Amino acid sequence: MKQTLSLIFLLCTFPTLSAAQFGIYQHGSVVRMHMGDCMPANHGFMMAFGSPAAPVSQGSCPEYTLVSPNVVYVIVGKMSNQLIPLAEVIDFRLQKNELAVRVDDAKHESKFVIKEMIVRSEWDRIKRHIDEQMKAAEVREAER
Amino acid sequence: MDKFLGTLLLCSWLVRLLVPFFLVTVIYPHDLLEQYSAHSQPSQDFTYHSSVSEVRLVFFATDEHNRSVQELQSDDFAVIDNSWVIRNFRSFTRAGLVKLDVIVLIDSSESVLPRFHQEIADVLELVSQWPWEPGDKVSILSFSGMEVNVVCAGNCRSWFTADRAASLPSGGATPLFDAVMVATNFLTQRRQPDVWPVIILFSDGDDTISKASFKGILKKILANEEQIYTVDLGGPGRPSNGTAILQKMAEDSGGRCVPLSDGPVKILNDVMDDLHSGLLVTYALPDSSSEFHSIRILPTHNLNLQFRCRRGYYYHRSGSARQEDGP
Repeated sequence: MKQTLSLIFLLCTFPTLSAAQFGIYQHGSVVRMHMGDCMPANHGFMMAFGSPAAPVSQGSCPEYTLVSPNVVYVIVGKMSNQLIPLAEVIDFRLQKNELAVRVDDAKHESKFVIKEMIVRSEWDRIKRHIDEQMKAAEVREAER
Repeated sequence: MDKFLGTLLLCSWLVRLLVPFFLVTVIYPHDLLEQYSAHSQPSQDFTYHSSVSEVRLVFFATDEHNRSVQELQSDDFAVIDNSWVIRNFRSFTRAGLVKLDVIVLIDSSESVLPRFHQEIADVLELVSQWPWEPGDKVSILSFSGMEVNVVCAGNCRSWFTADRAASLPSGGATPLFDAVMVATNFLTQRRQPDVWPVIILFSDGDDTISKASFKGILKKILANEEQIYTVDLGGPGRPSNGTAILQKMAEDSGGRCVPLSDGPVKILNDVMDDLHSGLLVTYALPDSSSEFHSIRILPTHNLNLQFRCRRGYYYHRSGSARQEDGP
């Protein structure tokens, strides 16, 4: 009985442990967060061609902008209280069209729906453009 | 030959004399020379203006057991300001909230009359038990019918007695929002940077006659940076619309809402806890095109930590730096 329980425990913890041990986590930083509309769990391809969509969670869900060295992800939580620890650097990995974030203190992963993906260089360019516009608006405001 | 040597010596002497002068005039920075000459002239009065956009935010941290966290570090939390995640803070300290300017708002309208005696007893107990400091002020306002009455202003510790409480006007409609508006204006008029403005509102939350709107007073509370603690006089049972209004007012301002059944000791403890555990963080104002900045504080590592602060602040671009929240 003990052996069976140990085996079950190992099987349950294996995905997280192995991911950590084999270093398959990518690193990124959350730069933006707001509460937005919730998304159905099986959106995108599965929603278009699969069975009827799962009901969308009522209320609002947290939406994060996660910046990694090469790609910027906009991810949405599945529940209103699904939070990411907002440390300077967080570990995440892509898993079956979802993004799994490693929650350090809880030693588990939290899965998020990927809403958008953009190449980092393109995101930097857009951000620079917005910053310039903001500064120009500030200067105009100051000159009035 | 002697004449030639003499001319050469004269040239050499002139060069030695002029080269340092040439070097000084060419190399010495022009503005330094100007500064030097300015010093030598009678001084003029100049005023230099610079705007520093900094947000000051008072907040409270609790653990999963709702106990205040004593050892919080600046890397344990991040501020979400208009959706931007802020981790670089200019300063992080204990707020050191020492002096208080408290307004107790007493609802004496028709709808709370069945619980009016308990309400007055609680206010009396609250005022008498509070560990007031020398610089603290407490004022009491009551509202019913069409009016907001100033019972006593600033000196209610000794003035407000059971006899005087018994003579308060009661009955009629509930001008709740007008009363809150009067209280916020009252606090704003005598606002000082080192004083923490607090409103303790006893009411059932059911406004029936105010000229001011609920949205209007929420905006006013955020703009004037007051913290509201509400005591719900509504009957027990399912939550009412009035309870929701009281909760919203308290949460938006960073305060708390407690039911009357909790008693004055609970209210007192809540406010005193906040006074002792308040934390102050400052950071550079993030870019935003909107006047209103929504705020939320979230943990960076331990997701069991809970943070409470006001819902946001207003920043007027044309004005100078605006303090978000202040003791």
